[in-house]
This record gives sequence, C-alpha cells and structure tokens, in this order.
Amino acid sequence: MNRATKVNIVPCSGIGKSFGSVSRLAAYYITEDDRPAETEMVPLALLVLGDKETNDTVLSNSSISLDGCKLQCAKKMIGECGGQIARDLVVLDVYRDHRDLKPAGIAELNEAGEKLARALADKVDPIIDQTLGKTGEGKNA
Amino acid sequence: MTEYLETTVDKFIFKVATDRLYTSEGLWAKNEDSLVRIGVTDFFQQRNGDIAFVNLQPAGKMLEINDEVASIETIKVNLSLSSPVRGKILNINQKVVTKPEIINQDPYNEGWLCELSVNNWAEESKKLLSPEQYFIKMKNDAEEEVRKG
Repeated sequence: MNRATKVNIVPCSGIGKSFGSVSRLAAYYITEDDRPAETEMVPLALLVLGDKETNDTVLSNSSISLDGCKLQCAKKMIGECGGQIARDLVVLDVYRDHRDLKPAGIAELNEAGEKLARALADKVDPIIDQTLGKTGEGKNA
Repeated sequence: MTEYLETTVDKFIFKVATDRLYTSEGLWAKNEDSLVRIGVTDFFQQRNGDIAFVNLQPAGKMLEINDEVASIETIKVNLSLSSPVRGKILNINQKVVTKPEIINQDPYNEGWLCELSVNNWAEESKKLLSPEQYFIKMKNDAEEEVRKG
C-alpha cells in the first residue's frame, strides 16, 4: 500500500467570527509556512458546492479539520464527502489551553488571535507526522 | 421526562422546559426536594455562543437574590449570572467547570450549575417567571434579534 504524501487541512469557512478567522490563519501557517510540501489547504466552500477537484482531493488524502466552533462544519463536510478524518480540532478547545490569547477582530485578528492561530498550527504539526506515518504512530501509515 | 415549549425563530429552534421557573435574564430555577437547582436556558446558551470557561461560586456560600452565582466566558461575551433566589449553595456541578460545552449541549439537564438550599421557596418563586411567561419574553427577544440582523 502506498504511503500518503499529503494531508488536507480544512479550516472553518464561517465569516464574521474571530474563532473562524483563527482557524483560517492557522491553516495558512501550516500550508504556506510550516509544511507546504506535505499539506494542502481545502476550501470548505468548494466542498459544500460539490466541486469535483476539491472532492477528489478530500478522497485522496486524509484530512485534518480546523473548526471555529462546535458545529464543526468542516469535520461534517469531510465526512459527507466520504473523506477520512485524521483528526478534528476546534479553536475553542485550543483557546481553553491558552486563556490569555482571546481572539478579537475578523478581517484582521488581534495579536492574541494570531498567537492562538500559531498555537493551533503547532498542535497540528505532530498530527501531520502521525498521519503521514512519520512517527510510527500514524493512523494511515 | 422533561417537556418543552418550543418555537422556531429564523433558522433557530428554542426550547423552554415546563417543569421549572425562570428569570428574564435567562436563568432557570427548579425546586427538587427542598433543593433548588439553577442553570441557564436554551435561548441563553444559543444567544451567547459556545462557552469557553465557567466559574462557579463555592459550595457553602450564602447568596442573596442578584448576587453573582456564576460567571461565564463565551466566544462572544463575558457574563456575570445573578442568583434568581436567596439561599446557600450546597452543591456545584463540577462537570460544567471541566467541560463547559455540556451547558451548550444540555442546558436543562446535565448542564445545571449549582444547587441551593432555599428556606422559603413558596415566597421566592413568586418573583420568577412561569415557563409560559418566559417563553413569550424569549420569543420576543429572539424575534427582535432577527430583526436587528
């Protein structure tokens, strides 16, 4: 069996809420700065629209959902499309571990929000390794 | 089994349990064998969003009406909750402190906040709203929020 080489990162698409913005910024940190060769950002809106290319991407590799709130739309949509979820994370849970980082702002997050996004991205980093089977603990290795 | 009054406003469904009394701010009080259990309503939790942190006053504390019984931080706001009755806190629900999302998931049952010993429930309860009265107020508030957008 071929080992997966990429992990999908699927952030919240909610507009108008700071916690959703945190999830999207974290997704950019992961896919553009931290692990660009091993991750791919999947826009939730395209999944909802049923875009074939996006759907194929979700079916090809495991996904990590980064949801802003407990409705967990990203997680649910990956499941609806038949994709495999490597891990589902919610910004609120990360915030509970970092109470000093209360996010504010939407189009432009405050400094605390940016730091919270960084904390979320850092939490995702080892999950990518596990998912790709780089630590020997990967679910999909 | 708890029964509910229910209404749909815009895309949201709100429930009001019929076996307890309410404050206009969205707290409920339920008298059970000389203990009065307190919590927040379904409308309260939906309006204020996912709860991140809950702080409860400790067991043993004596509360007057409107003393702070709990403080809640949601993704939207920080709120101080006023006690709907006068009494001594006997039990607090430690589960909601460690897992605040229980309040969002089940505000009328598992998501209760604390239990108070109340000396004169018959008198205290006169100041609270019946489920029907709270239902009307809640519906008006919800519709007003929708109108405001």
